[in-house]
Amino acid sequence: MSHTVLVCDDAIFMRTMISDILAQAGFEIVGEAETGSQAVEKYRQLKPDLVTMDIVMPDMGGIDAVREIVKQDPDAKILMCSAMGQQALVVEAIQAGAKDFVVKPFQPSRVLEAVQRVLG
Amino acid sequence: MDLSQYAELFLAESREHLSACNQLLLEWERQPAGLTPVSGLFRAVHTVKGMAATMGYARVTDLAHRMESLLDVLRRGAHPATDELLQLLFRARDALERAVELSVVGRERELEVAEIVADLDHAALRLARAKVGAAAEGPREAGGVTPSVVPPPPEVEAAATGRLVQVTLRPEAPLKAGRALLVLKRAQALGVVLAVTPPQTAFEAEDFEGRFSFRLDSPAAPDEIETALRAAGDVAHLTVGGEEVRGSGLEGLPAAPAEGGRSRHIRVDLRRLDGLMDLIGELATARGRLNQLAAERRDPAIDDVAIQVSRLSSDLQAEIIQARMTPVWQVFDRFPRLVRDLARELGKQVAFRVEGKEIELDRTILDELGDPLLHLLRNAVDHGIEPPAERRRRGKPPEGEIVLTAVRERASVAITVSDDGRGIDRPKILERAKRDGAVDAHAEALTDDQLLRVLARPGFSTAETVTSVSGRGVGIDVAMTRIRALGGTIDIRSEPGKGTAFVLRLPVTLAIVRAIIASVGPERYALPLTYVAETVELGTVTTTVVEGREAIVLRDRVVPLVHLRRLLAVTSDREPARAPIIVLEMGDRRAGVVVDGMLGQQEIVVKGFDAPQGTLPVFSGATIMGDGIPALILDAGGLL
Repeated sequence: MSHTVLVCDDAIFMRTMISDILAQAGFEIVGEAETGSQAVEKYRQLKPDLVTMDIVMPDMGGIDAVREIVKQDPDAKILMCSAMGQQALVVEAIQAGAKDFVVKPFQPSRVLEAVQRVLG
Repeated sequence: MDLSQYAELFLAESREHLSACNQLLLEWERQPAGLTPVSGLFRAVHTVKGMAATMGYARVTDLAHRMESLLDVLRRGAHPATDELLQLLFRARDALERAVELSVVGRERELEVAEIVADLDHAALRLARAKVGAAAEGPREAGGVTPSVVPPPPEVEAAATGRLVQVTLRPEAPLKAGRALLVLKRAQALGVVLAVTPPQTAFEAEDFEGRFSFRLDSPAAPDEIETALRAAGDVAHLTVGGEEVRGSGLEGLPAAPAEGGRSRHIRVDLRRLDGLMDLIGELATARGRLNQLAAERRDPAIDDVAIQVSRLSSDLQAEIIQARMTPVWQVFDRFPRLVRDLARELGKQVAFRVEGKEIELDRTILDELGDPLLHLLRNAVDHGIEPPAERRRRGKPPEGEIVLTAVRERASVAITVSDDGRGIDRPKILERAKRDGAVDAHAEALTDDQLLRVLARPGFSTAETVTSVSGRGVGIDVAMTRIRALGGTIDIRSEPGKGTAFVLRLPVTLAIVRAIIASVGPERYALPLTYVAETVELGTVTTTVVEGREAIVLRDRVVPLVHLRRLLAVTSDREPARAPIIVLEMGDRRAGVVVDGMLGQQEIVVKGFDAPQGTLPVFSGATIMGDGIPALILDAGGLL
């Protein structure tokens, strides 16, 4: 059975791109979220095997979303999607419980490597 | 790796450390300026943290980490104990205990630790600031400058333990601080990370090139560590060094000797030992049969084998009994905390002492002892020890004393709970007992034995008038039943104004005992040697009558007789003229049991025994004799 993924990003472009990379690699995209609070809500509903999480999103940011999700499920596997220069935010996200990160612009191979590491 | 198989081990070890924490906190409370308890606490919590991290219990790890941070600040600052700190640490210890217990049964998520975590962090921060403030105020005038600098994280330690891990990230790796942090996180999942160089805060600096090192205290093998850490991604080079022993000058030595040969112990599930004991019990029965057959056949070859089998199985039995022996501190160690908490709650001042912690008992017996002892200790604090003001009025020191002692006596262990409190109000108990018809209406005083018998009557103890006026009694019947079921006895000594002592006597082991086999009529009975003092013959000693009971005089002491034949209403045959008397001794009490004949001594396997209603309370179990016929085991406590 393929792993299920929840993709969280406020940009449709980024969501589509990540979804495509993962779908082509055999993952099942079970949901998408545009804001942090949506991500938390959908995580609760869908219980995906993996979450990709943008850092900067309206309403509730990615890092707060990580905190909320990890509170619900300490074993949640969350992959942060960050941009160059967001070092401090990435560190904060990892401290909040994110398991790994990828840096935009995405290279499919690096995204898949990170996903493999997260899923162990 | 499937970690569930390690859960029990984790639980057992964590409990030991948590129990140690209680002892250490109490010690610190007694010597607020002492540093040893704080260091001990730090180490205990640190160990729990490392184990929990390995098990993947994130919340236990987190809570232990916060506690450890506070302890580290206390340790470094040589901070004395305050009431507030002690209460906080006791609370934290209890929370950690709950966290451990819940995690092991997969209910970690039910944990509510936010409040205690916040309190711990708050205390650590406040103390750290106070320290910096004090240092800054030294040369300057005591200005009102609030220092904003918190000392570096306590992780950096000069003499750190564990393996040295050196990491270099790929030069092209983006956001090296994040990657380095992921490596550290993976390391933390394996054990305890110390001495991170450069400090974690420097990872985010512009010039961080992705080279860092730390010490990892983990049970994992070097290659396991390397694989796990490399999986964090973007690692170019990674080396895992040898293990280092705490303290300077020992670097490079293997870690094992420092542990004092600990590796020579293994933990065994108690059920395994129980199973083994059952098998050996059956072996003992079979051996009995073999011996009997050998005796009948008179074949020297069979005799030889029988003797050899006998010896081997005796040795085996001795070994397994020894393996089941557990020092009493495993149960006693939780009492100091309980006594302390109860005394505080009741506004009493109590010094609690434990003696003979190293005395050993069969694990099964020890496990059953906790509750009865708890009852007795509770009574001692609640009803025995007077409030400080009352003690002063009576010319006693305001602080009362409760002593829990274990002493080995022949084949039994005596455990005493004594207090220097007000003693039992005998007139009150006597009056009440008369009203209940428990004693003769003309009785003028209660002996210790009578007192105990009255107190141990079910229901008597719960009567409010008695407990509120004279105290005592609560749970004595419960304790007594439990102890008797283990083949033990309870004695009581009480002096008005001076205190009360309860003495519990227990056999050292339950499962297999040496017993005298006696006959009465057609039946055989087993009398465990634990309480047998000697045997004499009726007709060779002086008999007399004391207080309407037949007795013998043995070396100037009067020993009342119990005729088993009459007690059991055996009518067949007649009692022989020179009937053997088995003299039982239990503390100060003695009795001579008159039987028809003595068939010798042998080891018997004690089987549980649910006495049918109406059975005399003189049997504690049953056993199967060598010929396969069952015999009842006489209970010395019941006969006395």
